Amino acid sequence: MTVKKGQPALPVDFNLPRQVTELKGRDDETYLQFTTHMVTFYEQTYGEHSRFFMALRDAKLIGSKCDKCGNVMVPAATWHCPNCNFAEMHEVELPHHGVLAQTAPITIFPSASFIGDAPFARGYVDVATDAPVASFLMARLRTTTGLERPGIFVKGTKLKLVFEDEREGSIRDMFFVPMSELPEKLQKKQPLFASELDFASPAPPAVKSDAAKAKLKDAAVASMKRLAADVEKSRRAQADLSNRTYVLGIKTGGGDFTLRVANARLAVEDGLPAKADFTLVADDPRVFSDWVNDGSLTDAAVEGSLWLPSKEAFQVLPALDRLPRSTRRDLKDKK
Amino acid sequence: MRKVGIVGAGITDCRGRWVEATYWDLFQQATRRACEDAKMSTSEIDSVVYGIYNDIFEHQAIPESTLTGLIGMANKPGTRVTSGGATGFYAMRTAFMEVASGTSDVVLCVGGEKATDCFDPRSKTATPMVIDTIAKSWDPFFEYPLGATASDSYMQICMAYNDNHPGDIGDPEVRAKIVEILCHAGNRNPFAQRRDETVTAEQVMSSRWIIAPFLRLLEVCMYTEGAGAIIFASEKKAKEISERTGQPIIWVKGVGAANESYSPGRGGNYKRLHNIDSDRIAAERAYKNAGITAKDVQIVELHDAFVAQLMVTMGELGFVPLGKTRNLIDEGIMVDPKTLKDNQAPPKGKLLVNPSGGLIFGGHFVGGSNMFSTWSCRREMINRKVPLGMIHGTGAINAVFGGAMILELDGGAS
Repeated sequence: MTVKKGQPALPVDFNLPRQVTELKGRDDETYLQFTTHMVTFYEQTYGEHSRFFMALRDAKLIGSKCDKCGNVMVPAATWHCPNCNFAEMHEVELPHHGVLAQTAPITIFPSASFIGDAPFARGYVDVATDAPVASFLMARLRTTTGLERPGIFVKGTKLKLVFEDEREGSIRDMFFVPMSELPEKLQKKQPLFASELDFASPAPPAVKSDAAKAKLKDAAVASMKRLAADVEKSRRAQADLSNRTYVLGIKTGGGDFTLRVANARLAVEDGLPAKADFTLVADDPRVFSDWVNDGSLTDAAVEGSLWLPSKEAFQVLPALDRLPRSTRRDLKDKK
Repeated sequence: MRKVGIVGAGITDCRGRWVEATYWDLFQQATRRACEDAKMSTSEIDSVVYGIYNDIFEHQAIPESTLTGLIGMANKPGTRVTSGGATGFYAMRTAFMEVASGTSDVVLCVGGEKATDCFDPRSKTATPMVIDTIAKSWDPFFEYPLGATASDSYMQICMAYNDNHPGDIGDPEVRAKIVEILCHAGNRNPFAQRRDETVTAEQVMSSRWIIAPFLRLLEVCMYTEGAGAIIFASEKKAKEISERTGQPIIWVKGVGAANESYSPGRGGNYKRLHNIDSDRIAAERAYKNAGITAKDVQIVELHDAFVAQLMVTMGELGFVPLGKTRNLIDEGIMVDPKTLKDNQAPPKGKLLVNPSGGLIFGGHFVGGSNMFSTWSCRREMINRKVPLGMIHGTGAINAVFGGAMILELDGGAS
C-alpha cells in the first residue's frame, strides 16, 4: 500500500522477527537461515528535478525545452539538451492534456511496496505534442468507471491531466483520466482537481437479459451452492474465509444473486441483498460457473468480464478464488 | 585485436532456491566445473570478470570481494560488471576485450545470483520482495513511485509493438506453442530448473494472468539461483588448451552492443516504445563484426524474459520480419529439439532457439544468465557440429540494454 504523508516511511508491519530457523536441503541434510534486512533510509535530494516537482505542487506541468532543436523533456529530466552539445534548455509550461503513447499494462501482482494498490495502470503520455522531438510523461492512469481494465487505456486515447487536491511534490501528485469520461466544462478546466471527479460511485455497466443467460445463471448458482456445501466440509476453505465478512450483490444478464461470506462459510442466495458491501456485474453468468470449475474471479475482473466498483472489492477475490481448490483438496483427501 | 576463443564452461544446477549453498559456493561450483572442462587449474587464469547484477539480492555491497580468494583469483585483477539483465553479456564482452587487447591470455568470466532469499513479511512469500528488488532498477523520482514492475517494463514494450503490429505477438496460440517447444528444450537440459515439467499449449492459455491481456503465468521467466562460468583464451592459449581437452575451440567471431535512452519519447534519441532498438543495433554490429548475416546462424540462445519479448527480439535480431515474428511457428522456423537427434544440426532455414530451455524453463540467475546461454550454445554447436551460433542479452528498464555475440565452431561443420 502506498504510504501516506506523515506515516512512517517504512510501514511498521513491514518487518520480520529476528530468528534463525532450520530447513531441509535436497540432500535431506539440515541447513540454517536467518532473518535479516537491507534497509536504507534516504533524504533523497530532488536537485535539478526540484523545479518540476515545485510546479506540480502549484498544479502546473513544466518541461525543459531546447531552443536549438526544439526538444521538449517532460518531466524536465535535464536542463541541458543531450542532443545539442548540452545547450541550455529553458522552462516551458505544458498543456494539461495529452495522448497515450502506447497501450498501458495493468499491474495485478505488484511489488512488496505496492501490495494493496492493485490493480493499477500506468503509462506514457505524449503531452508536448507540438514539439518535433519530445519525451513522454510517465503517469498513473485512472478511470471513473470502476477498476482499471483492458480496453480503456489503449494507444491514442485522449487524456486529461488531473491533480490531487493535496500535493506534496511527488509524481503521484497527478494522474490522467480519459478525456471522454469528463463533461465538456471539465475537459477545458485547468487545473482540474481529483475532488471535481467522482471515483467513489462508478456507474455499473448495463447487462443484456435473455432466456439463455437465465439458464446459465441457474446453472452457475447451482454449482456455487455445491461449492458452498463443500466449504462446510473443508477446513482449508474455511481457513480461506476466516475473519472475512461481506455481502456481494451480483448482477448478471441471467438474473441477480447474492454471495454472503460470514463465520468462515459461503452462502448463495437468489436476488440482490438489501444492503451489499459491493455490487459486482457480469453480463455472462458463466464467469461464476467457470470460477467454481477451477477458474478465477480475479482473472475475470482483470479481463473485464467481471465488473467491480473499487479496489476494495478486488481485494475480496483472492480468498474466493482459493475455495474450489481448497475444497477439492480436502474432499479428495477424505475419499 | 587478437582472436579470442572459448575453451571451457561450467554451470551449477539451476534451482528456485539453494538452501545448501550461498552465492560463494555457487560461484565456486561454476568456476570449478569450467576449470575441469578446460582441464586447467586456476593458476593458469590471468584475471577474472564477475557478472553480478544486484547488491540487494546478494545482500552485500562489493559482493565480488568475498569471492576473490574462494574461487582461486587471489592477487589477480578482477572487474565486476553490472548491467541489469544484460550483466552476463557485458561481463563476457569485458572478458573478451581483455583477451583481444592482449592485456590477458586467459580470463575467467563468472556470473550468478542468489535471488530468492528476499522475503516479503506481509504476504509471507518471496516473490513480492524479489519483484520489489528488481523494481529498484527504476529511478526513485519518477518511475519507482508509480509502482512499475519488471514485468510491466518489458510488457509495455510488447504491448506497444502489438499496437503497431496487431495479430503477431498478440496471438495467444502462437505464444503458447513457443512455450511448448521451450519446455521440450528444457527437458533435455540436465541442469534446467524445470527439466521435469510438462507444459502444454492449452495449459499456457488457461494459466493465470500476470498482465492482462498479454502475459500469463506460464509465459514468464523464472527466478533462479545459480552461477555460470566461461573461460576465454587467446588464440595461442586456446589451441594449447583445446589439444589438452580434445574439445574444439568456440571462437568469438563478433560482438555488438547498444544501450538506448532511459526516457521513452518521440523522435531524437528517445527510446522508441514499440521496438527493441538496442537488440537490433547490437545484432547488426555483431553480424558486421563477424562478417555474416542472420541467415548464417543456426542456433540462438536469447534472453527470453517473456515469450512475447522473445518474439519481438527474434524480429529485431533479423531472424523473422518484424510484424511477422509468428513465422517462428507458422512457418516452422523455430525447430522443436524433440524432432532432432542430439547430434543433429537443424535443417537449412530452421533455427534452434534456446535449446537450453532459455530463461523460462532453463534458468535465469540474472548476473550469469548469458553465461548459461553461452554454456548451452557451445554445447549444442559442438554436439551438432553447427558452425555459427548467437548469444543475446537484454536488460534494464524497458529492455534498453542490448548485446549480441556471434560464436563460431573451430573448423566449421566439417
